[in-house]
Amino acid sequence: MNLSILLSILCAFAWGIQSIFLKMAMRDIHLYMAILITLIINFLTLAFLIGIGLGKGFPEFYYISGSVYLYFMLAGFLNYFLGRALYYSSFRFISVTQSTSISAAYPIISVVFAITALGEKLAPHQFIGIGLTLSGVYLLMMKGRR
Amino acid sequence: MSRLRGQTEAIFASLCFGIAPIFAKKGLMSGLNPFHGATIANATALVIMILFVLLSGRGREFGSIKRYGLFLAIVSGICNSIALVSFYWAMSIGKVALVVPITCIYPLFTLVAAYFFIKKSEVIDILTVIGTFLIVIGVILTI
Repeated sequence: MNLSILLSILCAFAWGIQSIFLKMAMRDIHLYMAILITLIINFLTLAFLIGIGLGKGFPEFYYISGSVYLYFMLAGFLNYFLGRALYYSSFRFISVTQSTSISAAYPIISVVFAITALGEKLAPHQFIGIGLTLSGVYLLMMKGRR
Repeated sequence: MSRLRGQTEAIFASLCFGIAPIFAKKGLMSGLNPFHGATIANATALVIMILFVLLSGRGREFGSIKRYGLFLAIVSGICNSIALVSFYWAMSIGKVALVVPITCIYPLFTLVAAYFFIKKSEVIDILTVIGTFLIVIGVILTI
């Protein structure tokens, strides 16, 4: 097994269990504080990696154009702030498993965007994938209704 | 009602997670190192969250925060960071077509971890297992 596969599995494992720890943390601390702490840890890790010389280090930030900053700021707002806040907030009302699985369906959004905005065509296996994903989301939404 | 709220929040979170990479991809087309991009994105969210906490009056709670809760939130943040770093590292040395589908299996790890660690508060029935597997397989086929 090569390193990229091992790292991918590590990523899935770490991302998969982080929500469990956060749900457990939310028994003792407020949602906002929990999100804030995870963001601080993330920021410190990234700053450390750049500080030890990843890429071109901190000076690279001076040469980034305004539009690129804007793109990443929008991505950060949507993913790390709004997305995470909604995702972690949902833990208070439904199970972590349910919430994680429903929010994991996000690649469908990218595919819908590719079809509508970029005019891309889907391969047959992608149609099957969308069908399976939506079926899974439907099943989880129906869970506990009766 | 609260169940519906939770489901709606999860769906909107999915929307946010789905739209954000479109902007990140546009930013990365400039040739910027992904870690620098992730730092800008993270710093933006961090600044907004700090303002949010201060304006909501929750900032005062920071001093009286329960240690165990703080410890668990830090562990969650460390796991988050490991996921972030290993993802970009894997992407830089491996094939995207292989790395991205593997990382999408994370709900299965959540399912297993929830079963072992928070069994009391999680209802893991056959619907949850089938639904989770359908989503994971569906997403792998879609990307």
